[in-house]
Amino acid sequence: MKKTSLSLLALLLCVQFAAAQKVPVQEMVLDNGMRLLLVPRKGDPNVAAGWVARVGSVNERPGITGLSHLFEHMMFKGTHAVGTKNIDENLKLIKEMDTVRVELRQEEQTLIRKARLGEISDNKDPKYRSQRHKELLARFNELTKREKDLMVKDEFDRIYTTAGGSGMNAGTSTDFTVYFINVPANKLELWFWMESDRLRNPVFREFYSERDVVHEERRLRTDSTPTGKFNEQYESMFWQSSPYGWPVVGWPSDLEGITREEALDYFAVNYAPNNLTACLVGDVDPVRAKELAQQYFGRLPRGPRSPEPVRTSEMPQLAEKRMVAWAETVPQVRVRYHTVAEGHADDFTLDILASLLSGRTGRLYKSLVLQQSVANSAGAGQDGRKYEGLFELNGVAKPGKTPEEVEQALYKEIERMQKELVDANELQKVKNQYAANNFRGIQSNFGLMVQLLLRDNNRGWETINTDPARHQAVTPEDIRRVANTHFKPENRTIAIYYTKKKADGAVDDPALAGLTDQEKIQIGQMKGMLSQAKAEQIKMMLSRFEQQASSAPADKQNFFKVVKKMLEDRLKQLEGGNQ
Amino acid sequence: MRPCMRNQQRNLRPLSGLLALVLLALSPTSVLAQTQQIPAHPRELKYTTLTYTPPKRDQYRHVLSNGVVAYFVEDHDLPLVNISTLVRTGSYLDPAGKEGLAALTGTQMRVGGTTSKSADEFDEAADFLAANITNFIGPTQGNANLNLLAKDVDQGLALYFDMLRNPRFQEDRIKLAKSQMLQNMERRNDRTDAIEGREWSRLMYGTDHFSTKETTKASIDGITREDMIAFHQRYYQPAGFIFAVSGDFNTKEMLAKLEAATKGWPVNKQAVPSVPKPVNTLVAGVYTVHKADVNQGRVSIGHAGALRDSPDSYALEIMNDILGGGGFTSRIMSRVRSDEGLAYSAGSSFGLGVYYPGNFRASFQSKNPTASQAIDIVMEEINRVRATKVTDEELETAKNSAIEVFPRIFATAAQVASTFAQDEYTKRPADYWTTYRDRIRAITADDVQRVAQKYLQPDKLVVLVVGNIDEIGKGNPDKPQYSLLKIAKDGQIRRIPLPDPLTMVYPSNP
Repeated sequence: MKKTSLSLLALLLCVQFAAAQKVPVQEMVLDNGMRLLLVPRKGDPNVAAGWVARVGSVNERPGITGLSHLFEHMMFKGTHAVGTKNIDENLKLIKEMDTVRVELRQEEQTLIRKARLGEISDNKDPKYRSQRHKELLARFNELTKREKDLMVKDEFDRIYTTAGGSGMNAGTSTDFTVYFINVPANKLELWFWMESDRLRNPVFREFYSERDVVHEERRLRTDSTPTGKFNEQYESMFWQSSPYGWPVVGWPSDLEGITREEALDYFAVNYAPNNLTACLVGDVDPVRAKELAQQYFGRLPRGPRSPEPVRTSEMPQLAEKRMVAWAETVPQVRVRYHTVAEGHADDFTLDILASLLSGRTGRLYKSLVLQQSVANSAGAGQDGRKYEGLFELNGVAKPGKTPEEVEQALYKEIERMQKELVDANELQKVKNQYAANNFRGIQSNFGLMVQLLLRDNNRGWETINTDPARHQAVTPEDIRRVANTHFKPENRTIAIYYTKKKADGAVDDPALAGLTDQEKIQIGQMKGMLSQAKAEQIKMMLSRFEQQASSAPADKQNFFKVVKKMLEDRLKQLEGGNQ
Repeated sequence: MRPCMRNQQRNLRPLSGLLALVLLALSPTSVLAQTQQIPAHPRELKYTTLTYTPPKRDQYRHVLSNGVVAYFVEDHDLPLVNISTLVRTGSYLDPAGKEGLAALTGTQMRVGGTTSKSADEFDEAADFLAANITNFIGPTQGNANLNLLAKDVDQGLALYFDMLRNPRFQEDRIKLAKSQMLQNMERRNDRTDAIEGREWSRLMYGTDHFSTKETTKASIDGITREDMIAFHQRYYQPAGFIFAVSGDFNTKEMLAKLEAATKGWPVNKQAVPSVPKPVNTLVAGVYTVHKADVNQGRVSIGHAGALRDSPDSYALEIMNDILGGGGFTSRIMSRVRSDEGLAYSAGSSFGLGVYYPGNFRASFQSKNPTASQAIDIVMEEINRVRATKVTDEELETAKNSAIEVFPRIFATAAQVASTFAQDEYTKRPADYWTTYRDRIRAITADDVQRVAQKYLQPDKLVVLVVGNIDEIGKGNPDKPQYSLLKIAKDGQIRRIPLPDPLTMVYPSNP
């Protein structure tokens, strides 16, 4: 994202539509393959305007991960006409800079190799740079300064801002890259001018300093938040072969290595008009808009070849995967299953199933939070993407409970879905919410514009009018069927978060004092198992356990003591009829 | 060109849709388009004039027979209704030692059932109607909202007013909420953004002002159901309400519905205490909070701001826009991000407070070695906007932007209703919106410099850095001219320790 967070887009994506009202979209396809969607609406004198490139991190490959996102940043750096005092000089300079970069890359690769072999400790430490390396850097800095002198700084932003454009931003996801702005109704032609100009003749100025900006973005979102880096690892662990496994922001090593040449190749194929859809919603005259589209976007040449769909699909998961992390956060669990892509018949059923589980009248809250008091919050959601999909359940453990206990309680609710048919009234409640959310989701011009673009990016904008009926058609039998199809133990990947120990060595549960981290994990897992076990089973465990304890080494005695007490407490609880 | 029109079952706006069809059939678009020249630069584009008149407050304002003010803005495009109630209350009314009472009362009104419905029954009824009902109490205002399909409005209003008038405050829900609050409280020192926000407020407003009073385990434990009942009774009564209704309804009918809903509800004229002002003397200097585990420092730089109704507010808005508020066209963003690549987000805000002066705050996040360099750049820009006049181009960009973006304040019916209701609540001068654009147009480069000199005070700046202070302190070996120590004019880097998250007691020796 250029300015705002990805969560806005996530939110927009989640908004659902119902059947009651059709959105009247006028569609136009130019000869070069570019699509234009129009929804004239009365109201304030503004137009929500945007376009989507059907490319995201899923279309990348190792070595250029993060390029889609870096590219999004580069699209604001101006063109042949915007952002420079002298384009010929500017282009000459860029060529020179790239030549220096080729040599610099060789120097960098030498250092990376040395670090790999352990000959130097850090390939980025300036003290290991050769004389030639230093000269090249000095030369490059000088060229950068000259480029700056030629620039008309942030002219692209200034033109829009002066004209009353607002909310300009862009966003990159796994499946799409979207660019948007609000313009006053009388500035429609400016929008066509600016957007077609940057699609025709972009100049990637400040390419290398922008890589640093993206690095700061990565530090902000991923490295410097308590769970950011763990969530990234969890995502990568979940996907085995699918390109959804690498982060949208890219791996740091790739970010540092991407060249302008690679960015240009990428642009030629993925930003060709035949891979784009534009959309205008608001105070717009459709006749004029179509004229302008023809005039401005019509001049973009069709791409050299059509972008190909992603080839690599996810391998079926054969065994449960589990990640255990210690982080500065509440103790919690995430459970994910591989499911289906966006638009698959089961995708709609899984949406409904997730809604049955979530919210204050959802099953997870009622059962885990209110009745069992094992969690302080819990939720579920289906995330259907363009090529694959996943279903996630999560919960935060109540103080004194472990993430594993929450995990087991989540499985109980899944089991209910697999065995029993949901109540008609309960299902109707969820469907009512989908029906109302249909209208809520199309209230704002901006929201509707982004929704149409993202839908057109996947299965076509028409789904805004056809999907609602598919949600309403879901039956209790469908729900039971998909729960049995997808929620299998070998198909799940779990992330457990324990609260990281405080710096002063204090631990949260005094009963666990003196245990190693490994032992604490084992205790946590046992607690999860115990919440499922019957009194008879616990008695058997206890007797077996006492035998083992007598022969355990001295440093394990503490651990055994804690486990024994836990078993006894649980047994007392069961026999006392507390549960 | 292959224009492809889809016929729709039901147009959102039948008239404009039909008109468009007719127009399209008549105009030979492709011929026309190809003959037109595309200018080489957008400055050569010509635009039609756009005249815009903002909506008038009085057109939507109504007064119920019990004296309550209500704003009604009809919009029949979609079958939704939104009803909002502003309530004169706030966490500034928390009694000492019961910090958290207002916030807890607000949420428990919503989730704790009503005298006639258990919490479960209320939630089920609301969810089955697909009605979004929320209620919360913020620092200086309470807000209750109902959003639902127009066909269900009577049932929704019944639930909504039952919540506002007869909350049950069910004990088990209070217990659960306290458990959740305590769990979150324990995690208060995890996130650097949360730490930065908390310490910034304390530096700006001192530790005695309500805005920096934090809940503690003791204050939460001490709040009882009876406290909440009393708090609700004191503030939730029609004399403290302002209604804002928008969407698919009929004004006359809605007025009658609100009359009926508030009928017989005693109007308590007892005045609500006013919002207290902070009494705090800022001590300029560099303050730090050490957090070892992060590789990026979060930095805030600033001092006291001004009041919203100050006559200088317009010039301050333009000044800040040029300095750091205007995104990529502003100086701080341009230098810290585009020139140097030192941060992803960088900018400034000039706080114009309704009840007491807000604060001026420039902020960014930068990796450890470059944080000091970025601070230096921001300081330089603060000095520059005082020392020299802004350029005509900068002034033009900022003013034009404010004027052209203006209509978006009233973009939807819900925005019209809520803007006017908020104005009523905060007693904003009635001519504010009608004169706004002329006042912006009148601002000169001299005005900008005058307010910069009056309101930006380089020798009073507070610099707060949250991150790995040991690493940030080392700076960048390639650029030794930038260092945290040099920024501290008194040669002092003050360390703020992390407080105990449950008692909020700060250790004396970090």
